[in-house]
Amino acid sequence: MPTTPSSADRPGAAREGTDAPGAPETPGAPDRNTPLLGRRAARIDRLAELMGEREQGGHGAGIWRTALARLRRSPMAITGAAIVAVFLVVALFSPLLAPYSPTAQTWGAEVFPNRNVFVGPRAENWLGLDNLGRDQFSRMVIGARQTLLVGVVATLVGFGLGAVLGGAAGAAAVLGGRWGRQVDNAVMRVIDMMLALPTLLLAVTIAALIGPSLTTVMIAVGVAQIPIFARLLRGAMLSQGGRDYVLAARALGVRRHRIALTHILPNSLGPVIVQSTLTLATAIIDAAALSYLGLGNPDPAFPEWGTMLADAQRFLSSAPQLAVYPALAIIVTALGFTLLGEAMREALDPKLRR
Amino acid sequence: MLRFLVRRLLQLIPTLGGLSILLFVWLQRLPGGPEYALLPDDATAEQRAQLRRSLGLDQPITVQYLAFLRRILQGDLGTSLNTGRPVTEEFFTRFPATFELAVTAMLIAVTVGVPLGYLAARKRGSVLDFAAVGGSLLGICTPVFFLAFLLKVVFAERLGLFPSAFRLSPGMSRTDLSGFVVLDGLRTGEFDVVRDALLHLALPGLALASIPLAVIVRMTRASVLEVVGEDYVRTANAKGLHPGTVRTRHVMRNAMLPVVTAIGLLTGSLFAGAVLTESVFAFPGVGSFVYAATQGRDYPVLTGFILLIATMYVLINLLVDISYSLLDPRVRAQ
Repeated sequence: MPTTPSSADRPGAAREGTDAPGAPETPGAPDRNTPLLGRRAARIDRLAELMGEREQGGHGAGIWRTALARLRRSPMAITGAAIVAVFLVVALFSPLLAPYSPTAQTWGAEVFPNRNVFVGPRAENWLGLDNLGRDQFSRMVIGARQTLLVGVVATLVGFGLGAVLGGAAGAAAVLGGRWGRQVDNAVMRVIDMMLALPTLLLAVTIAALIGPSLTTVMIAVGVAQIPIFARLLRGAMLSQGGRDYVLAARALGVRRHRIALTHILPNSLGPVIVQSTLTLATAIIDAAALSYLGLGNPDPAFPEWGTMLADAQRFLSSAPQLAVYPALAIIVTALGFTLLGEAMREALDPKLRR
Repeated sequence: MLRFLVRRLLQLIPTLGGLSILLFVWLQRLPGGPEYALLPDDATAEQRAQLRRSLGLDQPITVQYLAFLRRILQGDLGTSLNTGRPVTEEFFTRFPATFELAVTAMLIAVTVGVPLGYLAARKRGSVLDFAAVGGSLLGICTPVFFLAFLLKVVFAERLGLFPSAFRLSPGMSRTDLSGFVVLDGLRTGEFDVVRDALLHLALPGLALASIPLAVIVRMTRASVLEVVGEDYVRTANAKGLHPGTVRTRHVMRNAMLPVVTAIGLLTGSLFAGAVLTESVFAFPGVGSFVYAATQGRDYPVLTGFILLIATMYVLINLLVDISYSLLDPRVRAQ
């Protein structure tokens, strides 16, 4: 890119990057550094930078406390948190909650998919039977655990690798001098390229590489989230890098890796944590899409909502309930995480509140 | 303006170059490598070595990369393992269908999303605002392929309002000029074909529009809310300008900037979404072809598709940058 590293990537550049043409803080003004990715990148940078700003007021803990107080009053946050809480309880205690085995074809003699004979809800099977005569309610409950596993592992993969890349780039840019800015530049070029591909396509590519399994889905969905986390953490670290406390630490002769790890990093994690909540929702939806593409878990021993939904499409005309239950579960769960994440972002962003 | 364009074009080179390196590395890492795909399982080590030589796989990695780059630049994306025809050719014959679908989806998303987002912002806190924001969150959280199936079952199979598959009804004859059914129909005056094609586009277009629509509504709303609070809007209102003028010249013109960028960025995901939507509606475009490729691990098709999307993405964003400079003269001056 033509921008020279010295002008664009010095500490605080995250803020400069987003102010391009419009009013100083037009969201989505193109990042001068990467004009092609303006919108998405700028949005990520904006989140990163905002969390930094909020703490400038001088009362570090106060900002988080007021944000929390605001969250408690927000119906969006309460709805989201309630959905997430129910989902977590069901997922964690699923073996206790499921009345039957999710895989035993106990009532196999009552269901004939080829003759359009399905069994709907009844006293012993609350949600009816699936196409192989298994108890749908038990499958849904156990499926919650698998779905949570997919979401959490995928998010951790994205969070972990993205944080390493973004953290290294950010630390290099802030503390590494001229050489560090070049490292940062190189890392961010790769990240921006990954950001340019639709996440689903990235996930399909990775899934095609390692073959269909639940692990594939988790890795693929997680890797697709790397660029977002990397850019977010780097932006946050850049905006922290110019702070007085960093200058003070440097003046005191604290070692650079120590400044990065114990001073800058803890103060930069806020936006990344908010993003994780949103990523959990994306991961669950993307996992369903990958299952539909046949790249998901082929092992019926562990029902997972995405796989259940994808499998049920075959019977959608004759037994729509088989698809509707997992679909509703996915939508409601994703909605819960999204509401919670958006409410958190809103609580921390004064501009969105007004 | 010319300098601006040239600079933007030059900036494409590192992006596409980097992407080609990523793709090359990806192809290198594919399980087994090409010699396993081309040779029978019981081939000897010697046969493998000979094939590697003839394919140039024993060359240094940089030489291999340059050869790969040359093939791409010549438009050679390899041969589809599923159909045995060149990938480029397969894409070219299917592209018009997907293009029409993508344009339909984008038209739905923009014509509904922008006014809805504007109204939601102006009537902040109203039932309409609540419904628009809630609806768009719901849209983002619904798996596209499920929505597509739902639309198909309800509107095509149960109610019979729309056809459930393909681009045209069977038996519909048309004059083929370019592969773009709607355009051809308009040019030759075959309006029954146009009508039929539009009916076939409606449901898949709607399914594909769901995510862009949700994003555009939310972005327009946020952007309008921000602009409405600006001093220049207050000034314009204070000096007694007609509300319509303030709306079009002051609010919308500025509020549209991030939305235009978003539209560019959404186009990439539109093509990825077409893979899901087209397969549900048996729509004969690039998407359903790529869907078949993911089922059969047809790597040349997947690579080609990624390159196609990346190139389109880059070109569309160039258009976005240009439209930006038309909307906002300050970008040009920068």
